[in-house]
Amino acid sequence: MHVHERNPKRTLITILLFALVIVFGWITMKKPRFKYALTPQQTVDMVIGHKGCFHPYELAKVLNDKSGEVVLIDIRNNFDFARGHIPGSINITAVKLLEKDNIKQMDQWKKSGVKVVFYHDDQLQANGAWMLFRQIGYENTFVLLGGYNYYASHKDNLQKTEKTCLKGIAKYDFAEVAKKSGTVANETSTKTTKKVKVRRKKKEKAASGGC
Amino acid sequence: MNKNYIFLTVLMLLLALGTFFVPKKQLVSHEVKPEKLLLDITQPSRYVTTDQVAKMIIEHDPTLELIDVRPADEYDKFSLPDAVNVPLKDILTPEGQDNLGIEDMNAVFFSNDDIMSDQAWVISTRLGYKNIYVMKGGLNCWIETIINPVEPPETAPKTAFETYQFRKAAGMYFTGGNSIKTDTGVKKAKIKVRRKKKEKAASGGC
Repeated sequence: MHVHERNPKRTLITILLFALVIVFGWITMKKPRFKYALTPQQTVDMVIGHKGCFHPYELAKVLNDKSGEVVLIDIRNNFDFARGHIPGSINITAVKLLEKDNIKQMDQWKKSGVKVVFYHDDQLQANGAWMLFRQIGYENTFVLLGGYNYYASHKDNLQKTEKTCLKGIAKYDFAEVAKKSGTVANETSTKTTKKVKVRRKKKEKAASGGC
Repeated sequence: MNKNYIFLTVLMLLLALGTFFVPKKQLVSHEVKPEKLLLDITQPSRYVTTDQVAKMIIEHDPTLELIDVRPADEYDKFSLPDAVNVPLKDILTPEGQDNLGIEDMNAVFFSNDDIMSDQAWVISTRLGYKNIYVMKGGLNCWIETIINPVEPPETAPKTAFETYQFRKAAGMYFTGGNSIKTDTGVKKAKIKVRRKKKEKAASGGC
C-alpha cells in the first residue's frame, strides 16, 4: 500500500487549496486607479506640438457666452482663490485633483465633451497638472497661457493677445548680451592694471631710500 | 497514483504558461504612478534659482549636470558653461537618457524660460528618474539676474545688496570668457615689470 491511498481525496484537497490561494490573490490584487493613456514618446510629441494651450483671447469668448462648453478650474489654494479669480471658475487645489469626487466630475465632463481649462498664477504652475491629466487620458484638458496673473492685468483687453503671455521665447540674443558684457569686463581690467603700476613705482622709491 | 502526479504537473505547466499573458509593461516599467506624479508636481522643491546654479558653476560643483533642452541650433549659439544639449524632442532617445539617472548627479534642466524644462522634468519624473531640477526663469532670468543684475534701491535690505554683489561678481566670472585670456597676458607683463624693478633695487642697495 502506498501512502496516498490512505487518503484518496488528498490530491483534490491540494488542488482546492492551490486554487483558493490563487483566487484570493486575484481578488486582493489592487487595480491601479489610473493608467497612463499616453506613452512617454506621445507625451513628448504632444508637448512639442504645443497642443492643449488655451489662449487668453479664447478666454474672452468663454466669459461672454456661458454655454458651459468650457469649464475653468483654478488649481491654486483656497486663499488665493478667495482673493480673486476668473469669474465662473471652480476651485480645486492641485493636490486634490485626483480625489474620487473630482475624478467623477472630470469623467462626466470628458463624456459630454466639455473643455476643461486649468489655471494657476502663471502657465508654469499649471503645466504639471495639465500634463498629468493629458497623460492619464483626459484629452479635453487645457492650460491657460499667462495664467491668472495675465488675466488680472489684462482684464479689459483679453482679445489682443500680447506676447507677454507666451512662454518659451528668448527675450534676448543671449550670445550678443554675453559678448557685450564681456567687453565691459575688459575695460575695467585694463583700468585696474594702470593703478597697480603706479603703486609699484612708490615701492621702488621706498627701497632706494632704505639704502 | 501516477495519474495524480501527471495531473498536478500539467496544472502547474498551464499556470506557468499563463504568465506569458501578463502585460509586458507591468513587469518592466519603473514608471511612477499618476498619484505619486501629481504629488511630485505640486512640490516646488524641483526649482533652483539662477543664483544657486551660478554658485554651483563657480564652485565647480562636481555633482552639477546642466542640461540644455533647447533645440541644437540655439544651443550652438549660446549656452551655460559645461551644459550638455538634450533637445526636448530627443529626451527619450538613448543618448538623451544617458544624461539622466547618473548616480550622485543633480541634473538641472534649463531652456529659454522654464516651460520646456518643466515639461522635460514631468516626463523624466514619470519615468522614475530622481535628483532632477528645473532652473526657474531659464536663460531669460539668467541674463536678468546674473549677467545684467539690477542694483537694489537704497532702502532694500542688506541681503538684497549681498545678492547684488554676488551677482555682479558672478556676471564678471561668466562674461569674462574672452577677457580672461587677455587678462592672463596682462598679468604676465606685470611679472616682467616686477623683475626689472628688483634689479634696480639691488643696484640701489650697493
